[in-house]
Amino acid sequence: MTVKISNKLNRKESDLIYDFKKNKILLLMLAPVVVFFFINSYLPMVGIYYAFTKFDFNGGLFGSPFVGFDNFKFLFQSGTILKITVNTVLYNLAFIVIGNALQVFVAILLSEMSSRIFAKVSQSIMFLPYFVSYVIVGVLVYNLFNYESGFVNTMLQNFNMDPIDAYSTPGLWKFVLVALYIWKMLGYGTVIYLAAILGIGSEYYEAAKIDGANIFQQIRSITIPLLVPTFIMLFLFSLGSIMRGQFDLFYQVIGSNGLLFDATDIIDTFVFRSLKMNFDIGMGTAAGLYQSVFGFIIIITVNWLIKRNHEEYALF
Amino acid sequence: MKKGMTGFISALSAVVLFTGALTGCGSSADKAADSSAAPTTSVTAATSTAAASQNGIDTSKEVELQFYMLGNAPRDLEIIQTKVNELARKDLNCTVKFNYTTWSDTNTKYNLLLSSGQPIDLMFTADWMNYNQYAKKGAFKPLDEVVPKAAPDLWKWIPENYWNGCKVEGKIYTIPATWKEYVPGVIVYREDLRKKYGTPEIKDITSLEAYLEAIKKNEPNMIPTEELVADWGIGGPGFTAWGPIFEQTHTSNFGATVPYGLYNDYKNPSQLIDYWGSEEFVNDMKTLRRWQEKGFWSKSALSTKEYPADEFENGKIACVMASNPGKYATTLSKVRTNHPDWEVGYLSAPEVAGYVEPVHPIHNGFAVPKSSENPERAVAFYSKMVLDKTYNYLTEYGIEGKNYKITEDGHYEMIGDTTTNGFAREAMNGWAWRNPEIQLFDKSFDAVLDIFKKYEAGNGIVIGENLFGGFVEDYAPYQAERTALYQVQSQYLVPLMGGFVADVDKGAATFREKAKGAGLEKIQAEFTKQWQAYCKSIGK
Repeated sequence: MTVKISNKLNRKESDLIYDFKKNKILLLMLAPVVVFFFINSYLPMVGIYYAFTKFDFNGGLFGSPFVGFDNFKFLFQSGTILKITVNTVLYNLAFIVIGNALQVFVAILLSEMSSRIFAKVSQSIMFLPYFVSYVIVGVLVYNLFNYESGFVNTMLQNFNMDPIDAYSTPGLWKFVLVALYIWKMLGYGTVIYLAAILGIGSEYYEAAKIDGANIFQQIRSITIPLLVPTFIMLFLFSLGSIMRGQFDLFYQVIGSNGLLFDATDIIDTFVFRSLKMNFDIGMGTAAGLYQSVFGFIIIITVNWLIKRNHEEYALF
Repeated sequence: MKKGMTGFISALSAVVLFTGALTGCGSSADKAADSSAAPTTSVTAATSTAAASQNGIDTSKEVELQFYMLGNAPRDLEIIQTKVNELARKDLNCTVKFNYTTWSDTNTKYNLLLSSGQPIDLMFTADWMNYNQYAKKGAFKPLDEVVPKAAPDLWKWIPENYWNGCKVEGKIYTIPATWKEYVPGVIVYREDLRKKYGTPEIKDITSLEAYLEAIKKNEPNMIPTEELVADWGIGGPGFTAWGPIFEQTHTSNFGATVPYGLYNDYKNPSQLIDYWGSEEFVNDMKTLRRWQEKGFWSKSALSTKEYPADEFENGKIACVMASNPGKYATTLSKVRTNHPDWEVGYLSAPEVAGYVEPVHPIHNGFAVPKSSENPERAVAFYSKMVLDKTYNYLTEYGIEGKNYKITEDGHYEMIGDTTTNGFAREAMNGWAWRNPEIQLFDKSFDAVLDIFKKYEAGNGIVIGENLFGGFVEDYAPYQAERTALYQVQSQYLVPLMGGFVADVDKGAATFREKAKGAGLEKIQAEFTKQWQAYCKSIGK
């Protein structure tokens, strides 16, 4: 009996060594990636400790006095943390869901186009906004919505309509921000779905054509179901950063306009405004930790939910 | 093959850099220990070795000093640096590397430079870069012993009250600038348009309002003024149009800010007055609401992307409310070249309020950060930059005959223009090492000097003492409340100041209530306690 067990253990151990020997080259090739992530993603995690200290230059990371959860207090003091967390999550959900749906839609349109030149040109045009810096976007938006000389109001006045005071109307910006994000990311996301569509074997479509399926039936019964795994994977990836707002977009377009904060303030802009005057390492880390912990909880929960129903789609 | 080779080289250099970073971290502690031991050995070294300079510091080993300044490096920096290094190698057996941060994310970069521990020998400091806070947190080396030893001339040359002004918890951490400068709020306007529409001479808020109204009525293509959201340091976020209204009617040591809603009067500095709770606050907000309703600034002002001075110089607006003497001089000289038919007028707040303060000694300065390995050499070199005319003119004005010339009446004159000249006046942002005894001014700067002369000539203007600059606020006891208050200010106070809240009384009440919720009372109590203790300590 005992002999048997030790034998089993031995075999397990030798299996590991055998595995290692067999895949030596593959493991060696993996090593740089492991080192990269260790240095860039795992090592800096030690810095989380900053969130619990009052930083001073003499003490450094471990010598500064420990203050417990004091650094987190500023997040809760003004009583807006719940609102901005909800804003962050809802905006990101809108970005992910509407963005991905439109990207799938556009990718299907592009793949069905018979003129390759037209498809390429329209794809390039859609891709262009991705390269526009958010600083420029901010200026463009200001010149569109500026009350006195903005494009929108000049047009409205030409048609004898009342100008809109966009910069005092918080509700409007929910739509503007989502539209801007989609405008900017559409081309980029489309490429991924387009690649997935091109990866679908043509025999499916040929079989469907023989069975007499028209193009809409083909899309509904072949293309879309086969895109679902890609969609879910991208969805899960984006969920990982659902607590991280699109800082550039919100900061450049909304800026420090307090009138709009109720509808447009997200965690990132809130933290930036809080700390830009007196940057405090402890408080900055605390805010980052808050976002990371909640982001972690969300992704674990969603992954668990997906795993329960469709195990093959889950990330891990 | 070639591609593979470059890949290999870049990988190799990455490895070298990485190990360099590791060893750099490891050895800095030993080196710090070395430098702290240096003072004891250098006394004997000074008498025995010929390499020691006249100052009594050990210069036997050649070192490279790391010098950090804010802003953008001038185009010709390399040339100037080489020239300076020729001199410095001879005088102090050292070279210097001038580094610049650029203006984007300055605060963050500044913080990282100081907290990362990379060796820096000379670092710019300023009250507007939180000198007091950094000194208090231990970011700089104390200079009380280093300066008298390494730069006795500089120690004597800078007046004692300047040194005292730099003290944080009893120790000097920065070498202050000595040029006496004033930065009060200035309103810049178009005098030619004022005359054209015959409004009364601008000498207070009422006459300003009449002028702006005339512009609104008669100049359909102009907006009277372009005001925007500003950050007032300790005062938190605000709206620029409020500045002159407050500054022209108060003689506070805090200037045009009300930290946590408090201000004082220079005659009785320790007594703090609550502004946000007062009737006056509501009235001021009503004035601003009226101005906004009259269309003095854009309805989109809270999100504006425009820069008022540019707008003014392009003739799009007729008034800049939040200017200062230096900016006024720049605007004036640009207008004189581009629009000689315009006439620019100004009104500075002290002329109305009857009170002005020079900037505090810590307004510009240079400190030796904790990470420096050569504090003595750094101070000795800095002393040269201030006191030695050759060093000073090189680093302030460039090379004579190439970058600038001195006119017959003793003014600085740039050769060529900013596109052809790689080193404009004070292109190295040399505000801290200006030497008032030998300083050169551009002719356009006479406008600023005229303003200063006006103050110094009396005319009923009291020149006070800058108390606020020396005050070290310890906001640790109310840090969370303070951050929350700034959020409340940007959400409720800024729109109120910009005149975007229709019901001012209700808006003011909401702001007060939200501020109270953020912990305003706790902040005010603690701040008052600290301020009064400070006033007591300096005998006020």
